Amino acid sequence: MNSILEIEKMSLQFGGVKALDNVSFHIVKGEIFSLIGPNGAGKTSMLNCISGLYQPTTGSIRYKGKEIVNMKPYNRTKLGIARAFQNIALFAHMSVLDNLKLGRHTLMHSGPLSGGLYVGKASKEEIKHRRKVEEVIEFLELQDIRHTPVGTLPYGLQKRVEVGRALALGPELILLDEPMAGMNNSEKDLMARFILDMHEVMDTTVVLIEHDLGIVMNLSDHIAVLDFGKCIGFGTPDDIQKNQDVIKAYIGEETVI
Amino acid sequence: MRNLFVRETGNYKTTYSNDMKMFGTTGAKIKALLIVIVVLSVPLYVTNYWIGLLTLCAISAVGAIGLNILTGLTGQISIGVGAFLGVGGYTSAILTSTYGLSFWISLPIAGIVTALIGGVFGIPALRLKGLYLAIATLAAQVIILFVISRWDSLTGGTAGMVLGRPTIGEYSLSSNTGYYYLCTIILLLTVMYATNLIRTRTGRAFLAVRDRDIAAQIMGINLFKYKVMAFAISSFFVGIAGALLAHYTMIVSPELYSFHVSIEYLAMILIGGLGSVFGSILGAAFITLLPVSLGSLIDVMAGFMPELYQLFSALKDFVFGAVIILFLIFEPGGLAHIWLNIKKYFKLWPFSY
Repeated sequence: MNSILEIEKMSLQFGGVKALDNVSFHIVKGEIFSLIGPNGAGKTSMLNCISGLYQPTTGSIRYKGKEIVNMKPYNRTKLGIARAFQNIALFAHMSVLDNLKLGRHTLMHSGPLSGGLYVGKASKEEIKHRRKVEEVIEFLELQDIRHTPVGTLPYGLQKRVEVGRALALGPELILLDEPMAGMNNSEKDLMARFILDMHEVMDTTVVLIEHDLGIVMNLSDHIAVLDFGKCIGFGTPDDIQKNQDVIKAYIGEETVI
Repeated sequence: MRNLFVRETGNYKTTYSNDMKMFGTTGAKIKALLIVIVVLSVPLYVTNYWIGLLTLCAISAVGAIGLNILTGLTGQISIGVGAFLGVGGYTSAILTSTYGLSFWISLPIAGIVTALIGGVFGIPALRLKGLYLAIATLAAQVIILFVISRWDSLTGGTAGMVLGRPTIGEYSLSSNTGYYYLCTIILLLTVMYATNLIRTRTGRAFLAVRDRDIAAQIMGINLFKYKVMAFAISSFFVGIAGALLAHYTMIVSPELYSFHVSIEYLAMILIGGLGSVFGSILGAAFITLLPVSLGSLIDVMAGFMPELYQLFSALKDFVFGAVIILFLIFEPGGLAHIWLNIKKYFKLWPFSY
């Protein structure tokens, strides 16, 4: 078993509220992994712990066998963990191109001195990374809007840029927090295809949070189900569909009168 | 004959390096060259008085660009600019007058010292945002001015210090024209630096910190490092402006760097346009020339209303405040945005869209 990320007995507590309670699962390298659960189950909290915005109360997170629980968020990016946010967190006044370039921040090296002089090293670097960014632009079909400030784009496109910014890093592990929220069916199809492509063509491990169970069941290799901070199911889509706890959480219990 | 108002259309660029050039077309190159020629030839056809005013504009523009890097780009409000100007001015004064160093060495040192002190006062920025940070920088203003006015042995206390104009070999820049050239060349370098900074990695990180600091963190930006860096870079230019101003007025004293100066600099970047290098220059010129043009307006009107002279200083503050309010309401993008709108209008002229 070749797991890229292992979560072990992780709990996250805000005062008396247990947002995550003794959760354990692992993500295999190169798979599409989905995290599902009802609203408020702790899915986004889980991603926040993985990307470092929250510090879990107890437990461990191992990335490629290395403990990262105490690592600062900006250092986790250097390991190749990228993230797209649920409520769009793009830099509204920057163009699509600059947003994507910013996604490659950790891969670039020019500082305030070389950047301010621009000649030589910094300009070469800008051009080199522009080429990489253009690959992502082509992949996500954003060519016609590359110079548009993202604040003026419609929601569906902003969502795509959000995914693109995470993808620009060329990550090994990409965390997608509801990339299809608020989209219509054809937009969802398009996004699902992008996710499959980044998994198959770019060989990225994808962690997906999604409420559309049809898409989740079709795309995922493994699924973890959270409910009130507890991991109530972990396995392949078939396992999950048969899991009684999961059915109870989603549909409710049959009460015999 | 070609229509002069119509430019060639179409994007003929075939490489990324061509697309990312600062002056991509021949037209842009000619325009940049023209601006430089006009700026450098101004002393040939204006009076000495105006050369002095333009020098002040150039010095304020350097400081305003510095402040804009911090407030406009990185989104960290600072109202300690006045004191940082003072740090630059006093550093240069002490180095040149007390220790006899050359101006050309003391100018960069003044920038570096101010950058260091600015960086130290930027440390609270990690925890404080918006208005809270503004109050913290106000503390910088008060503390620095207190130190300057009490450290008599080093700074001469409230009496201040006297400086000289710089020299190049035998030639002294004591004339307004000579000093004008020095300041405009430094302004040109500052503009080049700031423009390049904005379009490269560091500048993008600054913008990211301003727009969404949490997302910026996830993108691999060390917030603390970049906030302190913004304070340091910004203070460097403010320090340079302070040193230039000190050698121009040839005197430094604590009351020249009061809280009022900080507000003036904030007004420059608000009126000019937050985050815009060109706007900083426009704003600096606007605020520097406002009292002057108001003065000449009063000279004209005094023919009808002689009592206006007594009202001048009150009127100056009134107009200053009114202009800021009007800009905030009607054109938050500042003069830079007005300029863009004018440009857009003439690009399409005579059609409306």
